[in-house]
Amino acid sequence: MTAPSLPNDAPRGSLACVGLGMTLGSHLTPLARSHIEQADVVFAALAHGAAEMWLQRMHPDVRSLQPYYKEGKSRQKTYREWVDLMMTEVRAGKRVCAVFYGHPGIFAWSPRTAIEQARAEGHVAHMEPGISAEDCLYADLGIDPGRFGCQHFEASQLLFYERKIDPCGYLVLWQVALVGDWSLTRFETGPAYRKVLVDVLSADYPLDHDIIIYRAATLPIEKPRVRRIRLGELPDITLTGEDTVVLPPAARLKPNLAVRQRLQALDEACALA
Amino acid sequence: MSDTIDLLEAIGKNAALRHAPTEELAEVLSEANASEALLAAVRQGDSSLLSAELGHHPLRVNHDYHTGGNEDEEQPDGEPGEESPGEAPDSLLG
Repeated sequence: MTAPSLPNDAPRGSLACVGLGMTLGSHLTPLARSHIEQADVVFAALAHGAAEMWLQRMHPDVRSLQPYYKEGKSRQKTYREWVDLMMTEVRAGKRVCAVFYGHPGIFAWSPRTAIEQARAEGHVAHMEPGISAEDCLYADLGIDPGRFGCQHFEASQLLFYERKIDPCGYLVLWQVALVGDWSLTRFETGPAYRKVLVDVLSADYPLDHDIIIYRAATLPIEKPRVRRIRLGELPDITLTGEDTVVLPPAARLKPNLAVRQRLQALDEACALA
Repeated sequence: MSDTIDLLEAIGKNAALRHAPTEELAEVLSEANASEALLAAVRQGDSSLLSAELGHHPLRVNHDYHTGGNEDEEQPDGEPGEESPGEAPDSLLG
């Protein structure tokens, strides 16, 4: 796309997409706060009304992106509208800050797209990371992804595509509440859809495998919500968009004897050198 | 009565309060003249009790659409799931 030509003295708009973190008051970085305070316009896509109210204390012009969601309306359309809203202000020469709950680059299409678009048009644009639900999950559940490895999938991807699951490591499934929604118009699907997910997972995990339903605290008076159930029970529980499903390893790491022998030979060769 | 958002921010950034036992936090908030709704939310461990005071509704939390998109419009991000391996990671984990 060709960048629109601007007079040399014209103000050049900029875009910063920042994360508010997950928990009100606890996670906002000093730099993200500075972006918010120094912006001309602030857009907000947050997870809790109290967080929006908190953000409004930091800036007099906070515009919520939530009203663009509508039941039955494609989220694809909503997210495009968000990009257009941000870019309209950037093109008008404003310093725009878009604030997303958690991390603005994780499970968020519009920040990445708006940044790409702004840069393509010659504007300064970048992303400031925030503490994500994934970060909180590791802390609250005591999981170290480096120990056995950890795969993350949007749950629907396991249904729409053939993916390889490694049951020797952790498996983290996001947005299970709307698993199987190809239409992008729903915010929940339901037990029958989750049953399909369980059937797919049952190729790698027994139905009595203990799994975790996790939700990070969004208000500082909350505790993280941790439910432990069996995989086969997943279709029957209450689940919302904030809930994440964690499957601990179901199999032991299998030694790779051939590679170990090869490495041993290298070690011996090094010792002789 | 103290401002609830100010109190929430104060709790969120105070190590002693953020992980304080329920009764202890409720006592501190009571002394700080917190609203009845905030006190009830803390005592009962149910933050939805704040809704009456703050007037908020649960917000949508799905800000992406990596998988799906069966609509007539052109996909702005390419066909989901068909990214090359070099392009896929940022769309999955950021």
